[in-house]
Amino acid sequence: MAHQPEPARSRAHRAGTPGPEPSDAAVSLRDVTRLFDGLPAISAVSLDVVVGETVWLRGPNGSGKSTLLRVVATALSPTFGTGTVLGDDLVRARDRIRARVEYLGHQTRLYADLTAAENLRFTCALYGLDPRAVPGALAMTGLDAVGDVRVGAFSQGMRQRLALARAAMRDADLLLLDEPYAGLDVDARAIVDDLLTRARTLGRTVLLASHEAPADGLVDRAVELDAGRVVLPVRERNRPRRAPREPVREALRETVREPAWEPVPEGLP
Amino acid sequence: MTARLAWAIAAKDLRVERRSKAALSAALPFATTMLLSFGFALGPGRLLLVQAAPGLLWLAGLLAALDLFSRSYQAEADGGCLEGLLLSPVDRGAIYLGKAAAVAVQVAVLFTLTGALTVALFGLPLGSSPALLAATAVLGITGLAALGSLFGLLTALGRTRQAALPLLILPLATPVLIAAIRACALLSAGSTDQVAGWLGVLAAFDAVLLATGYLVYGHLLED
Repeated sequence: MAHQPEPARSRAHRAGTPGPEPSDAAVSLRDVTRLFDGLPAISAVSLDVVVGETVWLRGPNGSGKSTLLRVVATALSPTFGTGTVLGDDLVRARDRIRARVEYLGHQTRLYADLTAAENLRFTCALYGLDPRAVPGALAMTGLDAVGDVRVGAFSQGMRQRLALARAAMRDADLLLLDEPYAGLDVDARAIVDDLLTRARTLGRTVLLASHEAPADGLVDRAVELDAGRVVLPVRERNRPRRAPREPVREALRETVREPAWEPVPEGLP
Repeated sequence: MTARLAWAIAAKDLRVERRSKAALSAALPFATTMLLSFGFALGPGRLLLVQAAPGLLWLAGLLAALDLFSRSYQAEADGGCLEGLLLSPVDRGAIYLGKAAAVAVQVAVLFTLTGALTVALFGLPLGSSPALLAATAVLGITGLAALGSLFGLLTALGRTRQAALPLLILPLATPVLIAAIRACALLSAGSTDQVAGWLGVLAAFDAVLLATGYLVYGHLLED
């Protein structure tokens, strides 16, 4: 991987130091709007995510979480607004961004007529990865016994596991997960949690869109979207760095009643 | 790098088609039905059948291939795989060349089988220059695959309906079709005069179509 993470500095930012400098910003969006047939799916979204940070995007259906992730992944272009991802311009340097970003969306992007191992080997060919990583990725997601089975015979949960194996194998600098828990059993949910934990350990940046609250300590902060706008960017401030993390759902409740949590004005890191 | 990626994409497409048989299983019966219909329409006159056979072969092959072009993107459209290709940091031209190579192999299989049927049904002689006949087939099929891979993408992206595919492809495929038919007709009649000229026309169209596809594919693929 071309980019080396700086976890220590990233953790310092999470502890409440001033907003990200340009070199620390994994994602920096300014007034990004995306229209579909003239209607905004996201509207004037400004968002800063520091390298090494794990951010939970939450919001009701149609709030723009998926669109926001797809814009950051460069699958969609912003209709208005500007932004950088991992220091590269969102529109002009798409290929550089794509080489360092893994996006796991609603669709698993798997070929039904290829086996699980063949799907991962094709990913290796596209991204220049070592195909010897394939057995390990299959084992990590509990699919090693069905590596030679066509994906068309897989359940939705198994396909989701395979997509997670692909994400783990790529080890991208920025991980974009759109409803990764959807349709997964308890074991498979643990795979998502492991992926998030591993990303944190390695200093990777994660944007996680989910209706469900992630497990304790897996995310640094939550950003709420509603009707395509950021309505509740929340940053943990003035807390001891080693304080035990609290469940995000609980943390969000505290934003309402506990003044120790301060909403960050929109547009500020 | 481009060649390696194109090979990986072509190999993947051919593996998918070998297992699913989605494209050829639809195109082959269609081409066969067309050839039989042409045969009955023209009647039992052997001379007329032989004279018309090269044109009927290429026409039936092209019309059957139209369905194959859009089906070649079916596996990409299912499960969002096309977005996976879009989000990979690979040369868009390599994706196009890989898709075109896979389509060319499928169209070659289609033409081989329909060609054999044409020889059997219409008594089409193969002439005395199998190398030139093979060159005509390769160049003609390459031109059709170059077009089909480019415009098949539009149907996969939902930017045009599958029904509109012939309207886009047929006008552009006409020069390829004419050159391939003329070269085949000359060769089956035992003449090699002017064949080089028609092969030159085919090669020129192939170069233009492949270069255009290589350059514009990325723009079509992007949002």
